[in-house]
Amino acid sequence: MITFAAVRYRAIAIDTLTFSPGVTSVIGPNGSGKTTFLKLCAGITEPEQGSVLVDGKSPRLTDIGYVNEFPDRNILFPLVKDELASPLRFSHTPCRETDRAVAECAERLGISHLLDRRMQDLSGGEKIIVAFAAACISRPRVLILDECDSHLDARRCTWFEKVLCDAGATYVIRCTQQMETATQSDHLLYFEQGRVLHAGMPAEVFSRLCDTSFYPLSWRCPE
Amino acid sequence: MVLQRPSWSLVASGVFASGIHLISGDVGSGKSTLALEMAGLQVPDWGIMTREGITSSMLSFQFPEFHVTGFSVAEECASWGLETEVVLQQAGIEVREEVPVLSLSRGELKRLHLACVLSRQYDLLLLDEPFSSLDCRGKEAVCRQLSARTEGITILFTHEQSIFPKVDHIWEISGGFLCDCGEMPGALASWQHAPPLIKRLVESGRVPDNITPEGILEAACRTRG
Repeated sequence: MITFAAVRYRAIAIDTLTFSPGVTSVIGPNGSGKTTFLKLCAGITEPEQGSVLVDGKSPRLTDIGYVNEFPDRNILFPLVKDELASPLRFSHTPCRETDRAVAECAERLGISHLLDRRMQDLSGGEKIIVAFAAACISRPRVLILDECDSHLDARRCTWFEKVLCDAGATYVIRCTQQMETATQSDHLLYFEQGRVLHAGMPAEVFSRLCDTSFYPLSWRCPE
Repeated sequence: MVLQRPSWSLVASGVFASGIHLISGDVGSGKSTLALEMAGLQVPDWGIMTREGITSSMLSFQFPEFHVTGFSVAEECASWGLETEVVLQQAGIEVREEVPVLSLSRGELKRLHLACVLSRQYDLLLLDEPFSSLDCRGKEAVCRQLSARTEGITILFTHEQSIFPKVDHIWEISGGFLCDCGEMPGALASWQHAPPLIKRLVESGRVPDNITPEGILEAACRTRG
């Protein structure tokens, strides 16, 4: 379980929140605190008050892969192959094992042709796919994705849902502004002004948003 | 014209008349490069692009952070020659004008940037992924503004899946070519990159008049005969 207890951090105020393994989507208006919430889950920032725990441990003691909402802020190295290898190199994985994992991961995500390219020459979508690959190459327990789908086309979004399931993370926590994507989650959190206004299964949360533009268009359309 | 890069090439020919054009395509197919070419910021490797009757143009980059020139929100608005209060109201965000503009969330930054861009009229307006990072309300607000543009050429390069403005013409990049799907609503029949919901409607014979949420809902609610 991931638990938030009496958390206060800047505009974020969460008295109590618990969610179980699976895919958790976070939706809400711009500036409502979604990214800050993800950073708290990742341990990138720590609450001023209260606690955030991943299966009873601090996020900073948990293996976490994180993809930033600004594609260029994910980039550490000039070449794609070095970017992809970086989490393994930082954890002192032997070179041969790293090379093998990079090749396997690139093959699995269909980006082998990008390995020798410069990160700055990639398109926005390609940068996000490489950042995602780097985030999941070491098979983290928690995968946190901040609006990855903003830069993906329809086909890539469908493909992305599949690779997300195959990534092997116990928890996937993602922000999305595509409500159709949010429907395909195990849990859904709706944020407003730093607070979790609604939490539950997608059908449950969206039923409370049926008069808003957040309600998925496909659900308004009869079959 | 032909755009050649080490990993892809794009052959593009067509006439973009007044109205709203939508260009879709796979990740890495060259949409942003095409936008740069159309804005005159790059020259094609072969061929020419002629701009007739274009006295003013604007390209909005996919990444709003690339546009930032001011330190604070107020300085950023001033760099566009605009009043901060007016921009913030148009953007629909509540932030203090003295905060660093790069401390805004990406969605807030995108809203601020688009409010600045859409505050003026241009003969040619190129918007690269205008809806990315916007929440649903923000997307609807931008769509309203775009749909209200009665003059000039507006070209949207987008991966958006559900909230679109009223568009006149659809194009897509496929197999290294810019393909002309045609004018609405006939374009929907050949639009390979159509979002799944639109594809489903077209396949069931309920072709929307346009791809606005209202157009899609109207088509979905039609009685099938």
